[in-house]
Amino acid sequence: MLNIKGELRQNYGPAIRLAVISLVLCGLVFPLVITGFAQLIFPSQANGSLVQFHGKTVGSSLIAQNFSLPIFFHPRNDSASGVDPDITVQDAYSQIPRIASAAGISADRLQQIVIQNEEGAFWIFGTPYANVLRLNLALIDQTGNAAYKDFQ
Amino acid sequence: MGWKEYFLTALIVNIFQMAIAFVIFSFQGVLPLNPQGFPGLSWDLAFMQAISFGTNTNLQHYNGEGICKQLPNCTSLTPGFPGLSYLSQMMAVQFLQFTSATTGICVAVAMIRGFITHSKDLGNFYVDFTRSLTRILLPLCFLASMVFVGLGVPQTLTGYQSITHTVEGATQTILVGPVASLVGIMQLGTNGGGYFGANSAYPFQNPSPASDIFQIFLMLLIPTSLCFVFGQLIGKKRETRPILWSAYALFALDLLIAFTPNFPVVGPGIEVRFGGFFSVFWTVVTTAVTTGSLNASLSGLNPLVILTAFNGMLIQATPGGKGVGVMYMVMFIVLTVFIVGLMSGRTPEYLGLKITVRDVKLVMIAFLVHPVIVLIPTVLAYSTGAASAIGVGTNSVGFTKIFYEFTSAAANNGSDFLGATANTPFFNISTAIVMFLGRFTPIGLLLALGGSMINRKRLTTEAGVRTDSPLFALILVGSILVLVLLTFFPFLALGPILGFFQGRVNGF
Repeated sequence: MLNIKGELRQNYGPAIRLAVISLVLCGLVFPLVITGFAQLIFPSQANGSLVQFHGKTVGSSLIAQNFSLPIFFHPRNDSASGVDPDITVQDAYSQIPRIASAAGISADRLQQIVIQNEEGAFWIFGTPYANVLRLNLALIDQTGNAAYKDFQ
Repeated sequence: MGWKEYFLTALIVNIFQMAIAFVIFSFQGVLPLNPQGFPGLSWDLAFMQAISFGTNTNLQHYNGEGICKQLPNCTSLTPGFPGLSYLSQMMAVQFLQFTSATTGICVAVAMIRGFITHSKDLGNFYVDFTRSLTRILLPLCFLASMVFVGLGVPQTLTGYQSITHTVEGATQTILVGPVASLVGIMQLGTNGGGYFGANSAYPFQNPSPASDIFQIFLMLLIPTSLCFVFGQLIGKKRETRPILWSAYALFALDLLIAFTPNFPVVGPGIEVRFGGFFSVFWTVVTTAVTTGSLNASLSGLNPLVILTAFNGMLIQATPGGKGVGVMYMVMFIVLTVFIVGLMSGRTPEYLGLKITVRDVKLVMIAFLVHPVIVLIPTVLAYSTGAASAIGVGTNSVGFTKIFYEFTSAAANNGSDFLGATANTPFFNISTAIVMFLGRFTPIGLLLALGGSMINRKRLTTEAGVRTDSPLFALILVGSILVLVLLTFFPFLALGPILGFFQGRVNGF
């Protein structure tokens, strides 16, 4: 029969050493090395994929932001994360009549903007979608419409 | 080391590591790298989370990023809800995710060594641990984490970003942190504990379909590889077959059930960039390898998808968690060999080793631990009123949530319905005990099984049942389903199965 007490006593030293070494290696050195390389190679992604628009930071392309004015595409509010940055193309089309009448843009032009920003279609199992922030920045930048003048 | 020494060493090292994490969780409020000023976790939550990450479970009763007011802009954090400082995310969560995954590989390899001809012992835990960590996990996670940063996962220590002027002129907080270094190990190590409360549904943890598929690949990589390691180590590559075939046959069966109700489409609880297919596929994978990460809200999925999630967690070998998946499959093989031996009147043997009464007792106890630690606390949660205290009802939906919580804890999976709402002393302490027993009891028993194989006389005649044939794999699948379903069917019937039929009636 193995002497458990003796076994424990003998192992305390090496066990604590291994615990501390693994703490420093996995908990400190590893994330710091990754942070260093990430900031060096992919600075934009590493800091949250922030979007610059006319020299100002207006948000992140990966995180939804609130749009409530009728002239903009609105994000969804029932997603798992609560910050889903995308809407399905179907959803975008369903918002076109509202935007068209609020901003006075033709539905064809709006549909064109949605199509230009469509992603995800080539995943055969995915649903085609569009990023809400990109859609709205395209509205401001590309339509030349008076309704968006204040947002430039 | 003999099996007792190996097991005790692993246990002591793990307990020290969990103790370090407990201290960091408790005192994060006064420790550095806490730009959000999160206070220390309550003792019961810190205790539960240390065990949760230390046992490769990653059940989370908190939101790592805090709880935002006014989503999606997150104008401020709701005070009084626990979040984790950067230091806790790195030196408690990521730390234990590495060490628990490493421990899983070590104990699996140690058990397999028992079955190798002419093995003298189960190996040295310190050597195994250091090698698995520095030669497998750290290099792979370095590559994986860098890929994730490239795909859009943040990695910074500078604190949350404030946007002072969104397009409509509002303010917004962007919740960045050392996320990428966590995502690699959380998936590769079948841990599953996310940086954010919404786990891999949160765009910063899983920004695109490409990152989604890469995470699914990482989850499956090491549990599948270990099936091959088994055949390689014992020197009979053909013996990989029953493990691999059975694991993937059960996995395929789960996929079939999950996609039966209807082809899933984007709906509430499902992120647009993944769509219905990848949300359901992910849920089957994450429970099949007991990772427990999520890319959709479980409440948004059909009850039959939840049923397959239960299957994965109850079997734990499809192909199961890192290391322990192979151990559970060997457990099922020994049981099956014994049953088949009884039926056909042959000597039960596996790999030329005669299966003794003691072996069967060991694997039976290892198998029975699971139902005991799932079913008793599920009943206790209702009888003590702990379930109703957090607003969970007694209908099939409520029962599924409580049953899922303890199944996930016992299987060291970590996905859950309850999340931060289960941050009560009852759920923290009960799940902590369940996770600890669910991790170390079977590991101890199966190491004992491996240890007892050392120096056992090998039968030279082919008297036993051939275990490398498709027929055996089929019998193995059958016996696993019978064993698991007989044990858990009444509970599954009250939860997801009832939920499915009620949904049929009410037009789910």
